[in-house]
Amino acid sequence: MPPGCVTVTAYLMRRLLQAIFVTFFVTVVVFVLLQMLPGGPVRALLPLNATHYQVVHLTREYGYDKPLVVQYGRWLWQLLHGNLGYSVHLNMPVSQSIIQALPKTIVLMALSIVLALLLGVPLGVYQAARRYRAGDYVLTGISFLGYGTPPFFIGLLLIDWLAVDVHAFPAEAPQGTSVAQVLSQPNALVLPVITLAFAGFALWSRYMRSSVMDNLVQDYVRTARATGASERQVLWRHVFRNSLVTIVTLLGLSLPGLFAGAVITESVFNYPGMGLLFWQAAQDYDYPVLLGTALIGTLATIIGNLLADIGYAALDPRVRYA
Amino acid sequence: MEPLLQIEDLHTEVRLKNAVVRAVDGVSLQIGANEMVGVVGESGCGKTMTALSVMRLLPSGGSITGGSITLGGRELTTLSDEQIRHVRGNEIGMVFQDPLTSLNPTMTIGRQIARAVLLHRDISRAAAAERAVEVLDLVGLPKARERVHQYPHQCSGGMRQRVMIALALSCEPRLLIADEPTTALDVSVQEQILELIDDLRARLGMAVLLVTHDLGVVAGRADRVVAMYAGKVAETASTGRLFASPRHPYTEALFQALPERVAGTGQRLYSIPGMPPDLTRPPRGCRFAPRCRYAQDRCHAEEPPLGGTADHRYACFLPVPQTRRPPGGIRAAAGTAPAGGPAAPGSELPGTTPLLSVRQLVKDFALTRGTVLRRRAGHLSAVAGVSFDVRGGETFGLVGESGCGKTTIGRLLVGLETPTGGSIMFDGEDLARLSGAGYRRGRRHVQLMFQDSYASMDPRMRVGPVLREPLAVQRIGSRAEQQRRVAELLDQVGLPASALERYPHEFSGGQRQRLALARVLTLAPKLVIADEPVSAMDVSIQAQILNLMRDLQRDLGLTYLLISHDLAVVRYLADHIGVMYLGKLVEIGPADEVYLRAAHPYTRGLIDSVPTADPEAERRRKRSAISGELPSAIRPPSGCRFRTRCPLAERICAETEPPLRPIGTGGRLAACHFPLQAAGARRDSPAVTGSAAVTGSATDGGT
Amino acid sequence: MSILPQPAKEPAVTRLPAGAASDVTAAAPAVALAAQGRPRSLMRRGWEVFAENRLALAGLAVVVLFALFSFVGPLLYSTDQVHANLANSLLPPGGGHPLGTTDTGFDELGRLMAGGQASLEVGVAAALLAVLIGTLYGAVAGYLGGVVDTAMMRIVDAWLSIPPIFVLIILSVIFHPGPAVMIVIIAVFYWLGVARLVRGETLTLRTREYVQEVKIVGGRAMRSVIRHIVPNAIGTIVVQATFAVADSILILAALGYLGLGIQPPATDWGAMLSSGLTYLNDGGWWLIYPPGICIILIVVAFNFIGDALRDAFETRLQRR
Repeated sequence: MPPGCVTVTAYLMRRLLQAIFVTFFVTVVVFVLLQMLPGGPVRALLPLNATHYQVVHLTREYGYDKPLVVQYGRWLWQLLHGNLGYSVHLNMPVSQSIIQALPKTIVLMALSIVLALLLGVPLGVYQAARRYRAGDYVLTGISFLGYGTPPFFIGLLLIDWLAVDVHAFPAEAPQGTSVAQVLSQPNALVLPVITLAFAGFALWSRYMRSSVMDNLVQDYVRTARATGASERQVLWRHVFRNSLVTIVTLLGLSLPGLFAGAVITESVFNYPGMGLLFWQAAQDYDYPVLLGTALIGTLATIIGNLLADIGYAALDPRVRYA
Repeated sequence: MEPLLQIEDLHTEVRLKNAVVRAVDGVSLQIGANEMVGVVGESGCGKTMTALSVMRLLPSGGSITGGSITLGGRELTTLSDEQIRHVRGNEIGMVFQDPLTSLNPTMTIGRQIARAVLLHRDISRAAAAERAVEVLDLVGLPKARERVHQYPHQCSGGMRQRVMIALALSCEPRLLIADEPTTALDVSVQEQILELIDDLRARLGMAVLLVTHDLGVVAGRADRVVAMYAGKVAETASTGRLFASPRHPYTEALFQALPERVAGTGQRLYSIPGMPPDLTRPPRGCRFAPRCRYAQDRCHAEEPPLGGTADHRYACFLPVPQTRRPPGGIRAAAGTAPAGGPAAPGSELPGTTPLLSVRQLVKDFALTRGTVLRRRAGHLSAVAGVSFDVRGGETFGLVGESGCGKTTIGRLLVGLETPTGGSIMFDGEDLARLSGAGYRRGRRHVQLMFQDSYASMDPRMRVGPVLREPLAVQRIGSRAEQQRRVAELLDQVGLPASALERYPHEFSGGQRQRLALARVLTLAPKLVIADEPVSAMDVSIQAQILNLMRDLQRDLGLTYLLISHDLAVVRYLADHIGVMYLGKLVEIGPADEVYLRAAHPYTRGLIDSVPTADPEAERRRKRSAISGELPSAIRPPSGCRFRTRCPLAERICAETEPPLRPIGTGGRLAACHFPLQAAGARRDSPAVTGSAAVTGSATDGGT
Repeated sequence: MSILPQPAKEPAVTRLPAGAASDVTAAAPAVALAAQGRPRSLMRRGWEVFAENRLALAGLAVVVLFALFSFVGPLLYSTDQVHANLANSLLPPGGGHPLGTTDTGFDELGRLMAGGQASLEVGVAAALLAVLIGTLYGAVAGYLGGVVDTAMMRIVDAWLSIPPIFVLIILSVIFHPGPAVMIVIIAVFYWLGVARLVRGETLTLRTREYVQEVKIVGGRAMRSVIRHIVPNAIGTIVVQATFAVADSILILAALGYLGLGIQPPATDWGAMLSSGLTYLNDGGWWLIYPPGICIILIVVAFNFIGDALRDAFETRLQRR
């Protein structure tokens, strides 16, 4: 095994430990939120019209009169067994509703990340290469527009123009309980994916533009030019990869924000993912679902961050062979 | 013979937002095949721009506006972008200053070279990879076949510069342009790289254009030298002729400003007054005239052409006559007045008890994290049991290469770091154990002058408050008294009182270093620690500061601890020298004694590695005194720390650490099992006046 | 090698260094002050860099206009924004209502002013709060360093990997927030990024030589922090605050769309836009585009200003 592999493993092990710590931290935050619920955690288990007797009874039965630390331990123990509680509104265990919704959200987010990167990264490179010229200004304008426009506004405008006026795409996202069902209606996926990708595109093209520009003034670029490389070769063979390193680190950091976009997009298009589940739970005061979704969504973010770390290690030899 | 590269009346401009810098203004020079030409000059003189113009690699806003550049008879300035790309790397290779940033960090070194080869040669990838191994072998990279898979950050500084050279040579160019190729390297490594370039020139039969600010670097190796000033060629001749008798007053002044020229004589350095002109609005007439001591009315009105004889050209109406100087040197040339102070560094009477007494000073840095990865705990032994004395009124020079711990010692002395062990006795008090009010009072007497004068002043504060701050901290005097003190300080360092209202960034480098000196002196300290006070400066400005430091020492009775990598600077100012290597003091003694009759092989090697601006001496000089590069201070070698690079090392050196032992009678100590002094001095040396008057200053050493 | 021009010399002020050799001719000043005219502080040069950026000036103009529109506008164009008037529901622009009326009969132009007040107030206040918390936290972590710093920053990292939307929504559900609580909720998440940046800045500034010099002359740590570290970190803080305002307005708009923002009859541009979007298919354009354009313009304007401020505070760009 080459010596570098040891350090990569050590690096990833450390990131994993960090992720475990973060997960622990998140459970604490969610537990605290649970305690903050009006009426306490028991409310999370009961329908809104529960009687006082029910509340007292359940409080004793579930040990909510015990010290908080003990409660936290029990709650964590239940979590580790996959028990996120039961949703009276949905009439199913929270875990089951999340298992249905999460893959669909992952599909939506993955597609939009891919689309945003496929558009944003090359356009960012293009802008950096033609900085301060007309093309750069136009794209800069578009990306600022993408950044400044609330995603629900974009989504609803797209529906108005492309679904209602032109009938090019369905106004509603694909429905169904399984991922296969969702994927079988690619037409219906187009608008939600574009909506979610729009803000991402703005972000990535801006980041890539400045990252490439930062790299273009580095000494190694001058060296590459001095060996006779053309501007295109300099850009794509030398600068591109160094710029991507920055982007990958930011990719992990952008995931929490992407979740926000997903909640909005899913509610605009009625897309049956985590975001919609969460939003409906918020309107129904369905606390078990709210907290469960938040917890799982955060875990998904943490795993996404880990993946970004692996990508970072793959791209930057300085991490691999430190 | 037809020259390989011919530059004719080159004009290069750089367009800024509000102005145009005429960076190269009518430069002509030529390089024959297999010839090495040195281009020297201070920063901003246009030497790098000339080199970049040849490659057509000018920074944004830069363009060639006139003249011609031909390579083997082919005009380069009119080539299309496509055509010039086939010249770059293929016919002309280029090596840059900083090998750390000049290589692509995310590509293996083998691949970077292979890519460069593939740009110009129609060969397979495998053959290109093979070529990479071949050139890396050529530049002396050990185990090249394994190294091709490494990334730049895995190589040391010297190795990276070898990779840079391999990259430049991969397509066997006819001309190699080296722009300050060794400026970022330590002297011992610099020597190795220069030797390599010279050796490759002979073996590959290529021409070399060596651009540098360091006259010593070109002295021993270049066939011809071109001295530039303010975008123009001031003088050009064969190296021997130019160094022996410079005709242009600027070149002459450059030589006279070199500290090594007056070392041991006690003479004052000649310093060129003022600073180079603003190239957006160059002065009329000779550009050097405003700073020239010989200038007459005509010089200010009319521009002198590049005249002289065919083999010695210079642009001056009033060339320095060859008769004006005594044969054999420039030392006594007109204009260098001897210093008003002591005639020789050794002759002044030092105090009887040392002002500063450092004993067994140790500093370890705990290692818990790296830049990207947090490493396992360990420690870096920065200073490992150093003892020395500094007497009041003298200058003690601490010399060593980067990473030897000399800067850490300075920081320990002023309390920026806490020692791991040992004591720092200053005027009878242990500085390491001061606290509270005693701390504040104790701090007054020891002040540190930083290397980078720009970073040492808060950019948001005017000079007045910057200088007043030490007084405010120490609560000395009323505001009016503080203002008076500050005005007095400015006067002492030769700045006008109007400087008070300005911001640090409005000053030039030399002026800022004067301000830094003023600030250091605010509290009237007894000991001033100067950490590389002139290392970032051009020779002419450096001379101004060194002279000022000497004058202030004489006028105020200061004691200096001078920390520098530059032996010439240290020798110019210091009475005693301590030589450090990897956290240890390896030799200590009177300056001339150490310099002329080094006892430790490292001292010897260090002195031998420094190129001097004397072609004769350079040719005679013993080369490559120190091999390899500095080992890690995390796991220093056992026994003598220098043994891994020492030509004399034997088994005992690995087993037993040599203590500092007296050498000769001059009060000198060296930590070596096989001190050189038995063999006597290797260089002819003038008698060292009064060196016996300075008693040895180091005491029990070693651990 | 520097290709930058050396500043012009000023031959009028000449003074020889103390003890300078007499052979230095009087025509050649040993030391002449560099720049002419008034001393230029960093602030001044920063403003020059900022003012060169036309987009930033446009952004500044937009912000000033919107502030006037929202806060001075109601004095000149007074409307009832408290009582619904269903009789005037959904009137198109014209007559007494230059921008028509909403579904509940509010005058749209007047409502834009009221909504602008809420958006700007919440945006600015949340940004200030977040920057305040983040600056304190980051400066403390960076200045203390070591284990404390590591622990404090681990918490921030952990917090940052929680998607804010979840907690924002849960908190909104629990509290039914008014503008004040909204400000706190947004700031609770936004301070994290500020804390990271300020901490990084403090760590760098701590090693600056002028900060260390305070120690060398015997000064206390507080002096370094107050006199040098904080004033030099202001740039980072101000830039962050600018971006924070833009982001807070967007977050408020998103919450408004989800029905969790400011509750009627009070409103903000986000809430106006989302309620207007219900009439997208019925041709109620005057309810959609005015608030939509307002949000986009103000967010983009603050971003332009932030970008330019970053350039202005960047000393690298100032050195010329």
